[in-house]
Amino acid sequence: MVKPEGKLRSGIRYLALALILLVMVFPLLWMFRVSLMDVGSSIGMGRLLSGSVTFRNYVDLLGAGNLGRALLNSVLVGASVTLGNILFCFMTGYTLARFRHIANRLLFVSVIVVLMIPAHIVIIPFYVLMLKAGLYDTYWALILPFLVNPIGIFLVKQYVESIPPSMEEAARMDGAGELRILLAVVMPLCRPALAVLAIQVFFTNWNSFLFPYILTTSDELRTLPVALALLQGHQAVDWQHLMAGSSIAVIPVLILFIVMQRQIVSGVTAGAIKQ
Amino acid sequence: MNSPKSTALVLALPWGATLILFWLFPLVYSFVMGFTDYRLLVADYQWVGWSNYRELLLDPDFRAALKNTFVFVVGTIPVTTVVALGLALLVSQGFKGRGIFRAGFFLPSVTSMVVIALIFTNLYQRGGYVAMLAELVGLSPPEYGFLYDRGTALYSIMAMDVWMSVGYYMLIFLAGLKAIPDELYEAAEIAGAGKLRQFGAITLPLLRPVALFIVVINSIKSFQVFVEIFVMTKGKFDTATAVYFIYSEGLATHFRFGYASAAAYVLFVIIAVFSVVQFALLRRREALW
Repeated sequence: MVKPEGKLRSGIRYLALALILLVMVFPLLWMFRVSLMDVGSSIGMGRLLSGSVTFRNYVDLLGAGNLGRALLNSVLVGASVTLGNILFCFMTGYTLARFRHIANRLLFVSVIVVLMIPAHIVIIPFYVLMLKAGLYDTYWALILPFLVNPIGIFLVKQYVESIPPSMEEAARMDGAGELRILLAVVMPLCRPALAVLAIQVFFTNWNSFLFPYILTTSDELRTLPVALALLQGHQAVDWQHLMAGSSIAVIPVLILFIVMQRQIVSGVTAGAIKQ
Repeated sequence: MNSPKSTALVLALPWGATLILFWLFPLVYSFVMGFTDYRLLVADYQWVGWSNYRELLLDPDFRAALKNTFVFVVGTIPVTTVVALGLALLVSQGFKGRGIFRAGFFLPSVTSMVVIALIFTNLYQRGGYVAMLAELVGLSPPEYGFLYDRGTALYSIMAMDVWMSVGYYMLIFLAGLKAIPDELYEAAEIAGAGKLRQFGAITLPLLRPVALFIVVINSIKSFQVFVEIFVMTKGKFDTATAVYFIYSEGLATHFRFGYASAAAYVLFVIIAVFSVVQFALLRRREALW
């Protein structure tokens, strides 16, 4: 069936793809490699496959360095923000899908408008607001503003609209309260959409830098990306430790990426398909 | 919460509160601040009218920041879009192992920008991998490394950005490719159109809305470029962008909240105009169908 020229063609295709793949993953491989090198050793170019392997740098950072605390903060803040978004995006998305009075229509417009607003332009008023509200340099500043997001609302609204309302109506007939219907009937049905939402929110939060950076100042409240960027500012720091710190930030993402690839991909394309 | 109406209200409360407290209020507050000389730790402030905006127009740092932002946006977006489309076409057909290639191309997009920026700071340094590759093809790399040279710093950061984001947009293109009905290609095949002709007459025009969508979301993102500048150059070597300028004036050096807010609004208006124009293009195309 396979013609010789077809074989040649697919060979060329694989070669090209493999080259591109190398370009795309090399920087991350290099990060892992440098993170495992001895501090004294040169990080010369030929060192990708040879030279020492040590976990010393990781131990240093998580022990004496305050990256352990930053890791804990990132997990704590990431989990809180993700849980908040699951609940609040679900509530808002559900009400926008099911109750169609004028206030809800306005709310939906607000969701779309906010989706288009460039968030970085409000860093100054955000900073002043948090300062005046007494939330500057607290966990609240890292969590409170990010508990619900327009993309998540949009995702849930689309999903709820695809579910026929017959089950809710049946439950209502049986005399179930609205809260019970919401949490026991609709929410379980939305699990696929909520999984997509959760992974997206967690990644965004885990990787975010600007807001956590400007809204905190003490070392105890720094999240991983902030702690890493500040670590780089220290004169004495070496590449081996910097790359070990970077690896600590990447490894959880990598694991989630492998486990939840399907949900991540549908999160990316959910917005585009609507177009 | 028994009547549906009160239920709807309660359910919408978290978003309503977030909208007012963390979106509307900062936007209005920032707009008002832009007309004052408000600074950190100075209790009373004066209304200064348009003088912040006038000062911005003449501020060489702000003009440089806007110029760098435009260079960044105009330089990266066409390249990112074309490369993402190319990658999508390469992995769209069914063949063994395409899942691995897709995942590998997409992987940089889910990684933290701080981490990517740190890795590339290493790769771009004097005697680093990129310098070695440049020498291999006969180019002479900048003496102190790519990020320590006015001629190469911004472009090096832009190249990294393209590298990082192509996989993300590739996924969106893949969804767009999947939405094109196979019958169109079959009909073209029967009509005797070659692969190239099919690409030009079916694939490209049908992908146009997806491509425009990508350009819109990518430009909103790219106009706000900040983290990579902060990590890699701190705005030195002619790399300061608009958000870097806002950060630096407002929260790093002078704490001039009013001035920085005015700068933020200039950027806001620029982004809004760009988005509106792009949406108009999108609409017009849809009307033609």
